[in-house]
Amino acid sequence: MKKTLSLVLTAALSLSLLSACTPAADPQPSSGGAKPSAPTVSTPATPSGEKVELTFMTNVVGEKAAALESALKGFEAETGYTVEFSAPGDSYEELMKTKMSSNELPDVFTTHGWSVARYSEYLMPVNDMEFAGRISDQIKPVITDSEGNMFVLPIDIDIAGIVYNVDVLADNNIDPDSLKTWDDFAAACAVIKAAGVSPMHIGGKDTWTIGQFFDWVAPSFYVTDESASKAADLKAGKFDVPTWTEIAQMMADWTAAGYFNPDVLTADYNSDMEALATGKTAFCFYGPSAIMDAKGVNADASLGMMPIPAASDGDAPSLIAGEDIAVGIWKDTKNAAAAQELLNYLARPEVAGAIAKAAGNSSGLTDVDVELGDIKTYFDKYKSVETFPYFDREYLPSGMWDVMCATGAEILAQKSGAVEDAGKIMEQSFLDKYAG
Amino acid sequence: MNLFYLPAVLLFLVFVIYPFIQGGFLSLTNWNGYSQSYKMVGLKNYVRLFTDGNVGTAFLNTLIYGFGSTLLQNVLGLALALFLNGKFRGRSVLRTVIYLPVMIAPLIMGYVMYFFFSYNRGAINDIVLALGGQMVDWMASGPRAVAIMTVVNALQFVGVSMVIYLAGLQNIPQMYYEAAAMDGIGKAAQLRYITLPLLMPAIQSAVVVNLIGGLKLFDIIMALTSGGPGYASHSLSTLVHRTYFGSENAGYASAIGLVSFLLIMVIGTLVTRYFTKKEVEM
Repeated sequence: MKKTLSLVLTAALSLSLLSACTPAADPQPSSGGAKPSAPTVSTPATPSGEKVELTFMTNVVGEKAAALESALKGFEAETGYTVEFSAPGDSYEELMKTKMSSNELPDVFTTHGWSVARYSEYLMPVNDMEFAGRISDQIKPVITDSEGNMFVLPIDIDIAGIVYNVDVLADNNIDPDSLKTWDDFAAACAVIKAAGVSPMHIGGKDTWTIGQFFDWVAPSFYVTDESASKAADLKAGKFDVPTWTEIAQMMADWTAAGYFNPDVLTADYNSDMEALATGKTAFCFYGPSAIMDAKGVNADASLGMMPIPAASDGDAPSLIAGEDIAVGIWKDTKNAAAAQELLNYLARPEVAGAIAKAAGNSSGLTDVDVELGDIKTYFDKYKSVETFPYFDREYLPSGMWDVMCATGAEILAQKSGAVEDAGKIMEQSFLDKYAG
Repeated sequence: MNLFYLPAVLLFLVFVIYPFIQGGFLSLTNWNGYSQSYKMVGLKNYVRLFTDGNVGTAFLNTLIYGFGSTLLQNVLGLALALFLNGKFRGRSVLRTVIYLPVMIAPLIMGYVMYFFFSYNRGAINDIVLALGGQMVDWMASGPRAVAIMTVVNALQFVGVSMVIYLAGLQNIPQMYYEAAAMDGIGKAAQLRYITLPLLMPAIQSAVVVNLIGGLKLFDIIMALTSGGPGYASHSLSTLVHRTYFGSENAGYASAIGLVSFLLIMVIGTLVTRYFTKKEVEM
């Protein structure tokens, strides 16, 4: 009996490992994997006197989340509705994937750059809403699908370049505007390294920070040079391995040269911010929100943002433009009218402006002026620099981010054959997911 | 007919068996983990699994986490139990102190340990520097990270083994030791010929619980390395998580999960059988 009991206990404990691998509801098999047609907008009127409770989930944390929550409180006070606010931080994507699998999403949620590629299947188009006509042309292409549908209110726009410590560059007589190509950038890194400062800082324990490197570098190799752009190939499901190998080799060369922090594999994002804020590194591959985060470590830090260098002399530096705080409505919400009211409220210039200010970004709406302080200097300075979408969101199938992070970690670990493997693994994953 | 077990059976069916069957089904699909559609891919995920180097690494790491933790936990747990089974002032306090880490969530323990093993301002490196050594990026090497996490896991849960062994020791009748002492048998021989054979049921419980806990190790890995560098310190559990949510390969993750289940099931059964054979009647 005891033996039987032991075996049953063993089986039960083992089974619990697998029990996590199941969807909350059954997805449906498809023969062709075609995306469902765009949902129709329904706006049922809220029955008079009925208590409306909306759920709102966001990926943002810290200052941004506080600004959003404050705006939602204003909405509650004005309408009498209740909005249940949730900002789960790191686990947001996992939670949302679980919710999508069971088709039980929050009434309103933020899409962290994936309003089209990942969430459009679950979102209500906003083309007919009042604010749609006020959406900035800079962000409109990023949030519009192939059929012309937009699914979110882009409260701000993430215009990202390379953030740097002004003092470190000044101490080494480096003018960020002179860094036109990656060769220029590497030469500057050599100078900074010789001065005893870590040229670049990556918090590789948080694997997404490694993916950032590729998202920042890849456009200059694949798409920014119009004469050699591989954008059409990528969209058509063709992945150019030699080009990726070039990028991987650049990372490997910089690793071998000691241009990254010595604890590149085990540091985290917080240590990136600390290093940037305290002059222990010169460059980080993050957008302007990192400036806000680093200022949180050291309010007196002098920080700036520069365009991303080009891969060749014939090309020009560029910036990345993407969604930041973009808010959409679940297409099957029972509170569609209230949710639309909420989006209209968030689109008011004073409300959207306050949130965009907390994010340190310019507004995604044309009639909203954001007080950005020092950061605005850089937005104004580089307003004529051409912007490109985030590489992974625009040109890679969803799910490739993790592959970039993992292959990058192998390169940073200086694993033998990691550079060649990176290209092959990226291509294989690209083709698998593209065929998906 | 006794129906009192029905609620437990129902819960087990709903929360374990049903998801298990679903997981098995998903392993035959290419589902990305969130979309409302997927394709059946037959055994493709299983074929891939056996040629995937990352799965191989995670498999090996899982065995190290499982057996390494079990060995350390049981050797230390038994030693502590033998020591704390004696009568001396302060033994209750010591027992509590050794058991206390068990009360801390493994994820929290992992984050605490992260500050020990960090390169910059980590407690270990501070000591190394104070002793005139060079700073070491402790978690940058996969094998070293695996070894460190095995030790961290074992030390956190050594209290569980200690408690099991203490209970076992207190069940051994004193008359055996008294008879042995009268025959002039030394302490080492008493341990070998009386304590260990009569402790076999406790050893079985401790080993199986520790082994399954080690083979399923997740939280500490997520907190300390997230499975990195690259895939070097993943266990099968963390690899399932990363494959499911990170790589958006829920079908493949389910296949890895199913194979992990079989692995733990087979190992657990073999270990249980081994110790059952070793049991002696008191």
